[in-house]
Amino acid sequence: MLSVRIGFSPLNDAALVVLAEALGFYSAEGLDVSLSREANWSNIRDKLSYGLLDAAHVLATLPLARGLGLGPAIGHIIAPMALGANGNSVVISSKLKEVFEGLGASTLLESARALRMVIQHRRAVSEGKVTLAIPFNYSPHHFVLRHWLAAGGIDPDRQVQWVVLPPSRMADHLRDGVIDGFCSGSPWPQMAELNGDGVVLFSDPAFWTLKPEKVLAVRGTWGEDNPQAVVALTRALLRAGQWAVKAENADDLARLLSADLYVRAPLEAVQAALATGGAGLILDPQTATFPWISHAKWFIGQFVRWGLTEDNHDFDAVARRIYRPDLWRQAAEPLGLALPIDDEKDEGGADVNWKVRARPHDIVMPPNALFDGGVFRVHRG
Amino acid sequence: MNVLIIDPDDARAALVAEGLRLDDGLQGATIHVWPRFELARLSAINPDMVIIACESPDRDTLDALQIAHEHAPRPVAMFVDRSDANTTAQALEAGVAAYVVDGYSPNRVASILSVAAHRFNLMQTLRHDLSKARADLAARKTIDRAKGVLMTSRGIGEEEAYRLMRKHAMDSGRPIAAIAEDILAISDLLKKRDDGC
Repeated sequence: MLSVRIGFSPLNDAALVVLAEALGFYSAEGLDVSLSREANWSNIRDKLSYGLLDAAHVLATLPLARGLGLGPAIGHIIAPMALGANGNSVVISSKLKEVFEGLGASTLLESARALRMVIQHRRAVSEGKVTLAIPFNYSPHHFVLRHWLAAGGIDPDRQVQWVVLPPSRMADHLRDGVIDGFCSGSPWPQMAELNGDGVVLFSDPAFWTLKPEKVLAVRGTWGEDNPQAVVALTRALLRAGQWAVKAENADDLARLLSADLYVRAPLEAVQAALATGGAGLILDPQTATFPWISHAKWFIGQFVRWGLTEDNHDFDAVARRIYRPDLWRQAAEPLGLALPIDDEKDEGGADVNWKVRARPHDIVMPPNALFDGGVFRVHRG
Repeated sequence: MNVLIIDPDDARAALVAEGLRLDDGLQGATIHVWPRFELARLSAINPDMVIIACESPDRDTLDALQIAHEHAPRPVAMFVDRSDANTTAQALEAGVAAYVVDGYSPNRVASILSVAAHRFNLMQTLRHDLSKARADLAARKTIDRAKGVLMTSRGIGEEEAYRLMRKHAMDSGRPIAAIAEDILAISDLLKKRDDGC
C-alpha cells in the first residue's frame, strides 16, 4: 500500500479526513494513511512545501494565496475536492450583543450597520477600535467578516483592528475584553457560547447558504508522481461523505469528531455545531465537495477587492491550475455520483433549491444565496 | 542580537536556549524564552530571530505579522535559498520553525536553526529514554513481587523462582514482565477466593 501523510486542523470540517481513517476508507482504496493533527495553518503550509505532508485539510484560500504569490511558496498545490460547505460562526461579546439588540438589529445587514454606530461612538468618546480576530490572514473568515462589515458601511482597513489568533484562544480574549468578536470554524464558537464567553451572532449559512470553506490540498509533485493515488484519496473522502450524510450516523459522527485523536473538544459543543441551526456544515459529497472554479474565482476576487494582490494575474489560469474538477469527476464516477458538466456556476442568487447540469442526471442543489443578494456570475463566452 | 524562543514546553525551551548560548556565533546575544507569543511585548524585545515550536498554536499570529509590518520577522521557509531547504525541512521535521528579520545573515540562520532542531530531537530522545527507564523500573518491581509470590507458594529460593519465570517466558514467547503480571493477577484471584470462604 502507498503511504500517504495527511495533515488536518482540529475542526469539525476536518470530518471527511478523519472519518475516512476511522471507517477504513483509505485502506479500502489501497492507501496507508497516517494523519497528523496540526496546531496551526502555517505548519500545514510549510510541511506541504517541504514534503513532510503529501496532502492536507486546508482553508480554501491557502493554496490560492500561494498561487497568487503571497507568502512562502515552494512547490505547487492542487485541490481535487472541497471538504464540504459552511461550518464557521461569528461570535461577539455579550456586551456588543446587547447593544445590537437595543438597536433592534437582527439581520446581518442591520447588525453591520449597528456595528458602524458602535465604531462611531467609540471614536467620539476616544475608546479603542473595535477588534476582531481571525484564525489566519488569508482565510475565508477574513473575507466573510470584511464583506459583512463593508455591507454596513464600515471600512475594514481603517475602522477595525484585526488580530490573528488560534481558535483555541479566541474565547479567552473575548471574555477578557481584548477582542470584541471573532470568526472561527466549529466547534470553538459553540464552545465559547456554552462557556458563556460570548454569543454567536451568525453562522456561515446566514452569510452565504452554500459557502465554500475547506479543500483537500495535495502537494503537486506528489500528485504528479502518484496520479492514481490522488483519485483514490479523493474517492475515499467522497465515501466518507456518503457515510456522513446518513441521519443514522449523526451520533457516531459527533462522537468521533470530539475524540482526543481528532478535534479534542467537548461532545456537547461538537453536537451544538452540527445540529440544525448550528454552524451549517454540509458534508454531502454530491452538493458540497465539487471544486467549483467559480469558488476559486470568488476567493481570488476577494484577494483583489481587499488589495491583497495586484490585478495583473490571469485569474482563470490561477484558479484552474489549483482547483481540479477533472480529478473529482474521475473519483466520483464509480461511486454513482452525478458529474457536473460545467466547471463554474453562478454563486449566489438561488434562494430555493435549483439544478446543476450534470450527467447521467442533473443535481438538485440546496439554495445558494448571499445575505446581501449579491450574485457572482460566470462569464459565458 | 536578540533571539526569542517560543515553546509551551518549558524544559525543551531551556534546552534550546542552552544550545544557543553554547553556539560560537551567538556570543553576547540575548536569548528570551516565552511559553506563548504575546504581541504586546514583542516591540520591547525587537528580536532578530524567533524560534517557535510547531506545536504552539500561536504560530499563525506570528506568521501574520509579516503582512502588516514591514520590519516584522518573516518565516525562514519563505526565503530560503535552495541550499538551506534541507535545514528548514529538518527543523520542521523536528518540530520547530523560525522567523528572521530581513538582512540577517543566511548562514547564521541556518546554523541557529540546526542547533534548535538538534535540541528538539535531543529532547525527544531524552523523553523517550525517560519513559523507557520508568517502564523498566515498573517491570522490575513486578518481577520482584512475582518472585516473592512463587518463593512463598512453592517454598523455593529466589534464584529458582526467577529461573522458573524465565523458562516460562521463553516457552511461551512472552516477556518475563508479562509472566510476572499473570502470576500476580492469579495470586490476587486466589487470595480473594480465600477471603470469600
